[in-house]
Formats: sequence, C-alpha cells, structure tokens
Amino acid sequence: MLVVDVLVIGAGPAGSSAAKHAALNGAEVLMIDKKSEIGVPKRCAEGVSKEGLKQLGIEPNPRWITKELSGVRMVSPNGTDVILDEDKVKLPEAGYILERKVFDKFMAMDAARAGAQIMVKTLATGLKREGDRVIVSAEHMDHEFEIQAKIIIAADGPESRVGRWAGLKTGTKPKNMESCAQFEMVNVEMKEPDCIEFHFGSVAPGGYAWIFPKGDDLANVGLGILNTLTEKTAYQHLLEFVDNNPATQNAQPVELNIGGDPVGGVIKDLVADNVLVVGDAAGMVNPLTGGGITSGMTGGRIAGEVAAKAVKDEAWSAKDMKEYKKLCQEEVADSFKKYLKTKEYLLSLSDEELDSIAEAFQETDFDVINTSEIVKKLVKVSPKALLKLGKLF
Amino acid sequence: MIVKEWCMYCGECAGVCPRNLIEVRELGLRFNEEGCKDCQICIQICPVDALEK
Ligand SMILES: Cc1cc2nc3c(=O)[nH]c(=O)nc-3n(C[C@H](O)[C@H](O)[C@H](O)COP(=O)(O)OP(=O)(O)OC[C@H]3O[C@@H](n4cnc5c(N)ncnc54)[C@H](O)[C@@H]3O)c2cc1C
Ligand code: SF4
Ligand code: SF4
Repeated sequence: MLVVDVLVIGAGPAGSSAAKHAALNGAEVLMIDKKSEIGVPKRCAEGVSKEGLKQLGIEPNPRWITKELSGVRMVSPNGTDVILDEDKVKLPEAGYILERKVFDKFMAMDAARAGAQIMVKTLATGLKREGDRVIVSAEHMDHEFEIQAKIIIAADGPESRVGRWAGLKTGTKPKNMESCAQFEMVNVEMKEPDCIEFHFGSVAPGGYAWIFPKGDDLANVGLGILNTLTEKTAYQHLLEFVDNNPATQNAQPVELNIGGDPVGGVIKDLVADNVLVVGDAAGMVNPLTGGGITSGMTGGRIAGEVAAKAVKDEAWSAKDMKEYKKLCQEEVADSFKKYLKTKEYLLSLSDEELDSIAEAFQETDFDVINTSEIVKKLVKVSPKALLKLGKLF
Repeated sequence: MIVKEWCMYCGECAGVCPRNLIEVRELGLRFNEEGCKDCQICIQICPVDALEK
C-alpha cells in the first residue's frame, strides 16, 4: 500500500494547483489522473483572464498562450453586435486564449517541481475510512492497489464522484449542467479576430454559443445548452450554429470536444473528514461564463494550503479544516453572485428582446456611459426587459 | 445500458447521475446497473446521444 499525507485525485488545473501548494507547504503529496496524457482531450474553450492568472502568481508563457485578446463581441440572434473594449470594461475569461493541452501539463509540472509525485493512467475507483485515515482503491493498467492518505483533495472535475464517496452532496442537477459541444476549426473568418465572441438566444437554449480565436484562422467554435430546455443534443445545436454563422461558412473542424460544465455555483459542503473538494467538482465555475480555470485554481491553492496545515497540526477532521469553506466563500463564491444574477437576466430575455437591446447599445461608447444612462436606454427599447432586470437586482 | 461506440468518455453523464453509478474510465464507461433507477437523466444529458437503455 502507498502511504502519503495528501492524495489529489485529478490533475486538471484545480488538482495541480492544490498539489503544488500542499507540497510547497511541506506535505508529502501524490496526484493521480486516469488520463494517459494530462490535459488531453481538452474540454474547454480556453479563455482565461489576465487578472486571474496574475492573482495566482502564474507568469504568462508563450508555450501555452495562443492569442491575446482586446475585447468581447456580443451578438444578438439577428446578428446585431455590441463590442466591449477590454480597456474600458473588466471582463471575466477575456484576456488570453490558452492551449489547454500544454497549460494543464505545465501546471502539473509546477506541482511536480514543488515536490508532488504524479501517477498518470491511474484511476481512483473507491474510498473507505480506516481509523483517522482514508484508503483509496486505484487501478493502473492491470495493477489494482490501495493508497492510504490523511487527506484527499477531490479534484475530479464535473464527474465529481469522489466527494460523493465521502458522503458530500457533490454531483450536479441537470438544470445546472451545461451540456457542451465544440469544434476547433480552421478557415474561420471572424469579423473581429481579436475579440472573443458570444452569441445569445435560441442558438443555445439555456447557455450561449462562442467563437474564441486561437491565432491565425483558428478558433474554438462551440456552445453550451441546458438539456432541460431543448430536445436537441448539444452536438446538433453546434452543427446548426456552424451551418448558419457567417464566420464558419468555410471553416473545417480539426477537433471535436464535448463535456459538462457545472454552472449552479459553489456547492454548500466543501469539507468532510479527511476530504476537501475543489474545482469543477465543487462547482467553482463562473455561472455566467462557465469559466472555471482560474476559480478552480484559486480553490486549489486554498485547499493545498489548508491540507498542508492540517498535516502539520495532525488534525484533519471536517471541523479542523472548516476554514477551507470560509476562504472559498470569500475568494471564489462571493464574486459569483453578480454573475448568477446577470445570467438569470440574460436567460429570461426572448430573441426579440435581445435584438432590441443589442440595437440600442450598438453605438454606445462604454467609456462614458453610466448606470442611469443604461437604464434610460433600456426603458426606451424594452420596458419589459427593464422590468425583468428590476426584479433581479 | 448500451454505450454506443461514439461515446467520448467526457463524464457528463456521471456528473448528473443522482446515484453516482457511472464509472468513467479513460476509454470506457461502466454502469453499476444494480442500483440504476432508470431515471434516464444520463441518457438525456449526453451531448452526442451515446446512451440507450
Ligand atoms: C466546452 C467547455 C468549454 C469551457 N470553456 C472554458 C473557458 O473558456 N474558460 C474557463 O476558464 N473554463 C472553461 N470551461 C471550464 C473548465 O474547463 C473547467 O472549469 C476546468 O477544466 C476545471 O478544472 P478542474 O481541475 O476542476 O477539472 P478538470 O479539468 O475536469 O480535471 C479533472 C481531472 O480529474 C481526472 N479524474 C476524474 N475522475 C478521476 C478518477 N476517478 N481517478 C483519477 N482521475 C480522475 C480527469 O481525468 C481530469 O483530468 C469549459 C468547459 C467546457 C466543458
Ligand atoms: S455523456 Fe455521453 S459521451 Fe459523455 S461519457 Fe457519458 S455517454 Fe459518453
Ligand atoms: S438511468 Fe438514472 S440512475 Fe440509472 S445510471 Fe442513468 S442517471 Fe444513473
């Protein structure tokens, strides 16, 4: 049996961040992932904010940045667009486009350099408690074995099975799980090649469609839907979007990516005896954008620090580690509240309302506009839309 | 549960299974059929329609 202080299950950005910070703070750390190649396949549109990386102390590296962006283009159902300039409006997930396959590996390498051990193609299959330790059963090829740990950091992404093994209510309700499909495409002809693009309305019921440029004529073209609001699959919606969007008339796919994105907000119970949950597994995803890279890594940093401290103090019950929940609330969950509201507002609007709002704001200089002017404009175009807004804020 | 050969092991179905019955391997999906209540939630969420009862 392998014996470690901290076992991190999942080597995505959240797990690698947790492993790095637990190791940096003196714990003996093992991180396992079922994948044979960390970061592959990608399940991501790869947008990340500069501010988010900076706060994590991660230096931008040309080996995993494919494109630097200058703004956001938002497109309403009839094609009317509003462009927001990055200098004028702070926008989440709108600084760089990553190459996740490389980024995720680099984050794992950071963890290894900090002292963590890594095992790839190693699947966790179950968990039990023995005294004050946890025993995780695992498989590596034909080798079935057990790992004993003081603390488990559950970083197993949207599947979020590990937390449930430990008795926590992780896992996602279908109404909170964006079902996503995306092509990475070549020959994409974007109107604003330096902007990320969001398309709202019935193209993607319960979510939005996106085009995120990756340099040259490459882009991630995808969408997320709520399957509770449409009969079609995410993939069928994607095929329609690509058929109808002007930017993709000549585009060809080089990759198909699919996956779930939990957008219901951070789960209530993040801590059990011996167990901390981080990243997508804990719902650390911006509910408006679906972005979870930097928020998951922030949760990972906190989990790593709390776990290492618990090892030092020799105290890892849920009560001993409850500060994890408080810190995640302050550093991750609180900032999501306004995005959840904005999302509810957007999803409440009909295609016609979205069009009239986009038309009203098309020529707006967001540098000089203030809230009362926004409200004045909204009253003019759609009192109903404004009423919906009033109900939320 | 029948898993079609075009399943991409993305794990979205496992995340929404209310009974946590779906094991997602790197290249495989295993159901704990015994506990399955046939709620079809996993079937409905799949982005590529790869599950069939
Ligand atoms: C289509 C799509 C587009 C997205 N676009 C963006 C975006 O533009 N910007 C952004 O910030 N976020 C985006 N996201 C969200 C982002 O991808 C996730 O928030 C992020 O990957 C979460 O990181 P994580 O480490 O929590 O989980 P993951 O990256 O999912 O990593 C979990 C890891 O755990 C491993 N694992 C799971 N179970 C086990 C087990 N039992 N044993 C061993 N290993 C296991 C998996 O193999 C995986 O490597 C998008 C998501 C989707 C689906
Ligand atoms: S959601 Fe569909 S494609 Fe993804 S693992 Fe489940 S069955 Fe396979
Ligand atoms: S039918 Fe329901 S209980 Fe059975 S595996 Fe699917 S989601 Fe789980």
